[in-house]
Amino acid sequence: MLSFIIRRLLIIIPMALLVVTLTWALVRIAPGNFYSAEKKLPSAVEANIRKKYGLDKPWYTQYGMMMSNIVRGDFGDSLKYQGQSVNEIIRRHLPYSAVIGLLGYLLALAIGLTAGTVAALKQNSGFDYGSMSLAMLGLSVPNFVLGPILVLVFSFWLYLLPPGRWGGVSGIILPVITLSAIYAAYIARLTRAGMLEVMRSDYIRTARAKGLDEKTVLLRHAIRGGLIPVLSFTGPALAALLAGTVVVEKVFAIPGLGNIFIQAVLNRDEPLILGVVAFLSILIMIFNLIVDIAYGFLDPRIRYE
Amino acid sequence: MKDPRRLSQFLVLMFCIGLLVNGCTSSANSRYFGKTVAPKDNILRYVSGSEPETLDPHISSGQPEARIYMAIYEGLVEYGPKDMQPIPAIAKSWEISSNVDEFVFHLRDNAKWSDGTAITANDFVYSFRRGFAADTASSSTELGFFIKYAEAFNGGQVFVKKGDSFLLAKDYGGEEQKPSTGIGPDTDFHKFVQSPIRLTLDGDEKKRAKQIDADPKLKAAVAGAEFVPVKAEDIGVEAIDNYTLRVTLRQPAPFFIGLLAHQFFRLVPKQAIDKWGKEWTRKEHIVTCGAFRIKEIRPYDALILEKDPNYWDAANVHLDGIAFYPVEDNATILNLYKGGSVDAFLNHTVLTSWIEQVRAFKDEYMNFPENSTAYYSMNVTRPPFNDPKVRKAFAMAVDNDALSNFRKITKPLYDLTPTGIFPEYDKARAKVSEEIRKERNIAPDVWAKYGKFDAERARKTLTEAGFPVQKSGDGWACPTFPTDKVSLMFNTNENNRSIAEFVQAQWRQNLGITVPLKSQEFKTFLKDRHEVQYDGLAQSLWSGDYMDPYTFVGLHYGYPNNGDAGFNDPKYNKMLDDANAELDPAKRYEMLARAEFYLMEQQPSIPLTINATNWMKKPYVKGMYPNPGTLLPWKFVYIEQDPAKWDKDVENVMAESDPQVEKQLQELTATQKTAK
Repeated sequence: MLSFIIRRLLIIIPMALLVVTLTWALVRIAPGNFYSAEKKLPSAVEANIRKKYGLDKPWYTQYGMMMSNIVRGDFGDSLKYQGQSVNEIIRRHLPYSAVIGLLGYLLALAIGLTAGTVAALKQNSGFDYGSMSLAMLGLSVPNFVLGPILVLVFSFWLYLLPPGRWGGVSGIILPVITLSAIYAAYIARLTRAGMLEVMRSDYIRTARAKGLDEKTVLLRHAIRGGLIPVLSFTGPALAALLAGTVVVEKVFAIPGLGNIFIQAVLNRDEPLILGVVAFLSILIMIFNLIVDIAYGFLDPRIRYE
Repeated sequence: MKDPRRLSQFLVLMFCIGLLVNGCTSSANSRYFGKTVAPKDNILRYVSGSEPETLDPHISSGQPEARIYMAIYEGLVEYGPKDMQPIPAIAKSWEISSNVDEFVFHLRDNAKWSDGTAITANDFVYSFRRGFAADTASSSTELGFFIKYAEAFNGGQVFVKKGDSFLLAKDYGGEEQKPSTGIGPDTDFHKFVQSPIRLTLDGDEKKRAKQIDADPKLKAAVAGAEFVPVKAEDIGVEAIDNYTLRVTLRQPAPFFIGLLAHQFFRLVPKQAIDKWGKEWTRKEHIVTCGAFRIKEIRPYDALILEKDPNYWDAANVHLDGIAFYPVEDNATILNLYKGGSVDAFLNHTVLTSWIEQVRAFKDEYMNFPENSTAYYSMNVTRPPFNDPKVRKAFAMAVDNDALSNFRKITKPLYDLTPTGIFPEYDKARAKVSEEIRKERNIAPDVWAKYGKFDAERARKTLTEAGFPVQKSGDGWACPTFPTDKVSLMFNTNENNRSIAEFVQAQWRQNLGITVPLKSQEFKTFLKDRHEVQYDGLAQSLWSGDYMDPYTFVGLHYGYPNNGDAGFNDPKYNKMLDDANAELDPAKRYEMLARAEFYLMEQQPSIPLTINATNWMKKPYVKGMYPNPGTLLPWKFVYIEQDPAKWDKDVENVMAESDPQVEKQLQELTATQKTAK
């Protein structure tokens, strides 16, 4: 188990560097520069800018310098937002995304797991049909539609919650609901399917045959098996949620990492793009690792050598 | 809630409450768009658009930043609130040489930085020099190249010294400067800067060698000469004393004073920059000089300013603070505005699909012409658009009036310079047009249609150009036109697409040609357009840099230029040079108008529309005007708590006079008679 974890952790570093290299190449291939704007610059002025930011050096020198800095954990300064380091920008904007993402994730888990489990236990009941139809709706309505609908109802009809911007608990409610809807729906359906399958499996029949009461069967045996498909979905989902969700952040004007990342790409802000990409790829790899470890706890059939 | 009946009862109840609450609030406020309550803390909340790149006014050339810089930095002059004409700021008055190539500014002696130190002429000398320094790498630096030797210093060029004297530009094909009358005391620096323009060569040895080799006369002259780098101290900016600044230009520039309100010419603090380097713009280090100072910086969330008690005119600053919110999504901005979280927002923001609904709020919606034009450039270096006749035909086949109706808020334009922004220039244009009509002996009714939409003539012109247009069923066809070699390129955006589709339909209808559309990501698009690497047509939008028609007429001047059509015409360049050397403003405008007329006959671009300001403010925000650049001098802005005094029907806001604003403006301009 330990050696498995160490092996996986060690692989993260070269993987992240590979991702950074590929991203760097893609940014370089994309036409345009961080300084290009509607108005064209005189060539001498452009030369001054390129010199100031080291873009006048050959590409391999630039790549080498960038890589040696990154290995030391320094992504340099943003090109667009002068005087701000990439590390500082990520540190500053991650919490916004993380708060909303984590709350959205917990809400999705709470709704999804409860609804899914109850629906499975009461298969073909009114609740089952009702909740699964709602889940279908949740899956089909994209968050850029749901968000504005919630704003319409809660901000303009009821005047209960602000339509956007960060600030206070009231400002978090709508983005969190918007964010969690699709995940809650997904989790509900996965849980229901997983539970249905497990409840019919042999080991549950054995448990019942042993004379265990239904509550113990459910909580000690069924849930663990039923949650495996949910787990493989929610691990990467958590990474994605924590790292920022572009659409929700745009709709509600939240200064999260997702928003920053999209803007960085449009701005061709190379150091910022690379920093966020490296951070995200490491985050996702770590969460995948956690999911893999959790499998072992949930399903006794899975062993790590 | 197990019982489905109880759930549905609950939902119905919620819905009823919703309707009730909705009914109450909207009936109370139906005159206004959403929640309308004047903020009690006297702090204006303004959506400024994209996140500001930096608080260093030399670095960012953007408009969202410009509005923020206007609050925290001041320069010699400021934009007037209604017409954007320069009004005194740190300079209380100025004198202009008879050649319009030298300016002396008299600064106020009570202007202070936010740290309390006095602002002197030396601060301006420092700021100007820093703006032109190569390692500042300012992208707006070109705006100041009218100042003598600024361009040479920025480009790292060298003077050529032979013996005791320097080679002069006029001997090697350079323009000769008319002898300047000069104003102010004749100091040593003044003698130097007033002497004939020196020749400057490239600072890079290899490039310089090429330059020298190309000119035999120069090659002979530089033998044994010494190359002296152009220094910051050579730029035509001089502090005569603590409160007198002199600026010398390399050529007459009648619009120069108007240029000085631009962010590039605002003061930057030497004391903070020397001490903190690139980190000087941080909250804990920054020193400002505007009506407001920094209170809080929360990137991507808010930039909070507070009134600066050190500001020389603090008594006339009405707001206690401004909160700039960087929000980019237009629908979100409108939501925030409707929800009452913001008091006003930047231009070009109301989505086309919202305009019908929003323009009904007459006390809030700002629909005024802007000093910007939308047009399609045509690549004149590649066939078929290398033929002026083809360009003319395509231009005449577009009905700009119909396009403007379709766009709802823009106004049609058939020239390069927007109409209604420069009233004196509009008069000059009308006069020149009449003169040309008489020269050509064309009947007035025929002339009125000249250059305008005319499908019949468009087809005739295209046929003459070798692409016959034939009748085909109900419409037209032009089978020989190479539609596979042209496209209409624009950057990905719903508005741009709808315009492109509209114009495409016009060409199909009037010429029988279907030009393929090509949508590109913004920066990719810019590269292709700037390098004139496109086939056919490319969308352009030009916002004037300053309040003079030259910012538009000069779009295709020299090469490379900002017209992005690959157009380069010595005759047109000469016409513009001559016009700018003209000292009589009326005559200069007429000469510019002639140049513009000549250019539009060559038709390197198809003018489409004059853009509209397209923004909103709550009726309690006063002293904020829809000027042609949406550049708002914040010290005029105030929040009116008394609903009886709120703005009504803002269509007349420019004509109506607000006694408070008028008085403030009068006091400010009293020291400088030429400023309005």
